[in-house]
Amino acid sequence: MPEKLLSLPEAAGLVRDGDMLALGGNSLTRTPAAFVRELARQGRSGLRLVKTAGAYEVDLLCAAGAVAEVHAGYIGFENLFGLAPAYRRGVEGGTVRPVEHACYTVIAGLRASAYGLPSQPVAGLQGSDLPGLTGFRRVEDPYTGERVYMIPRIRPRWAIVHVQHADPEGNARIEGGVFEDVLMTRAAEGVILTAERIVETAFFEARPERTSVPAFMVRAVVRAPGGAAPGACFSFYDTDEEAVASYIEASASPEGLRAHLAAWEPRDRSPAGAPAASGGAP
Amino acid sequence: MSRAAAVTPGAQRAADRMAVFLARQIRDGETVFHGVASALPMVAVALARRAHAPGLTYLNIPGGVDASPSRLPGSTVGVQLMEGARAQFSLIEIFDLSARGGLDLAFLGGAQIDSRGDINLSFIGDPARPKVRLPGGAGSASILPTAKRTVLWRTVHDPRSFPERCPWVTASGRVDRVVTPLCIFRKVEGRLRIESRHAGVAPGAIRAATGFDPGPAEEAPETPEPTGEERAALEAADPEGVRFLEFA
Repeated sequence: MPEKLLSLPEAAGLVRDGDMLALGGNSLTRTPAAFVRELARQGRSGLRLVKTAGAYEVDLLCAAGAVAEVHAGYIGFENLFGLAPAYRRGVEGGTVRPVEHACYTVIAGLRASAYGLPSQPVAGLQGSDLPGLTGFRRVEDPYTGERVYMIPRIRPRWAIVHVQHADPEGNARIEGGVFEDVLMTRAAEGVILTAERIVETAFFEARPERTSVPAFMVRAVVRAPGGAAPGACFSFYDTDEEAVASYIEASASPEGLRAHLAAWEPRDRSPAGAPAASGGAP
Repeated sequence: MSRAAAVTPGAQRAADRMAVFLARQIRDGETVFHGVASALPMVAVALARRAHAPGLTYLNIPGGVDASPSRLPGSTVGVQLMEGARAQFSLIEIFDLSARGGLDLAFLGGAQIDSRGDINLSFIGDPARPKVRLPGGAGSASILPTAKRTVLWRTVHDPRSFPERCPWVTASGRVDRVVTPLCIFRKVEGRLRIESRHAGVAPGAIRAATGFDPGPAEEAPETPEPTGEERAALEAADPEGVRFLEFA
């Protein structure tokens, strides 16, 4: 069995150009921010991203030119900073293809994969132009005749999930909002975790019902304190709004993005994981 | 730290009113959900719980059931929305709940809201090569047709935001009311009609700012101004002024 506890560059090296990645977390909370910065530093391209509601992690990969498609329900910086600048540029410039979803259709597609099915019926969507654009088809239920939309399977190559606690084997516990992360781990071909803390396996044995991801599903674990920053991580740290603002400024130019990635690199790659400082630089 | 400093006094007044008017849409005992990018509804729920609807059940994206946040986060997916929660009921379960008819009220936004209450949160221009890529509808295409009732809000009231028809419909469904800085619309027989206009807003101003015929604005009563009690509950619910974020 290959060693699972990897460095951040080693784990990011498992991702190939063109892979479909499901990114955990939601908006600015518990997203695999350090991992996507490493993907950008390694120059990955053609990635197909899957997300219900994304922000920094999707936008940063778009800014880095790493993204071919975004399958998502929402990409933006909410009421804090509005539209996602690099995602917007990529879509409007024709380099990023948006695959328009509702959050629940992303979930349905992931469910199809997790359930071992080619597609999954989903409630709602009546009156929306979304099915026509994305190509969701309706079928007649064989029992009632009710017409229902079927969402095709979404099977990511990797689910990339940042968690609070993991052991070296890959058992993981998520605290606070779980979002779609557990489903993503069941839907993907493989799982890569980054974790605030690497703990002993006894931590999981004491409360196995609280283990979100069992080790046998996991290919790699990275110790990544602060790995969701500048976003938040429940029970560890809150969103650093100033640092998000400085990213948005940096994302406007290739030089700015390079500087942003370089500024975060020591902290991302250092297992010592210096504690978060406020402001734009880590 | 108050976020009020970032906005004009006029915007502060509009934010206060909209938070109160959204809160009034919540009936005590209802199961209520707001999603991402929903600062005003998040404040409205917190306000309603302190005022007329202490028995509501509050659901949010992190999955906190009846959370009591130590502070309201700028992101309405913030970690604080799990604090003090009695249970975790994930976003997936919230969509499922709405799908089976168990969600009483959802708040949803729209970059454009048309005469039928349909919303566009996806594109301005050709979807294949849009002039503006909007953030996307998040849960709206699933929630609007399935929740028992939805209330929409938009902080900008102009003809572009309120067209006769959205050029592209992200979501359509069970809209009950729409709250804007100028008025409250109610959906009646498939069309939005002015229910009330806010104090000091002339009927002509609403017609001029609306891209469809909203019905006889002159006959619409004035929206009752926030009461002293509501103002006190608003300040207690949102001392940092997260509601002003939507106006910055």
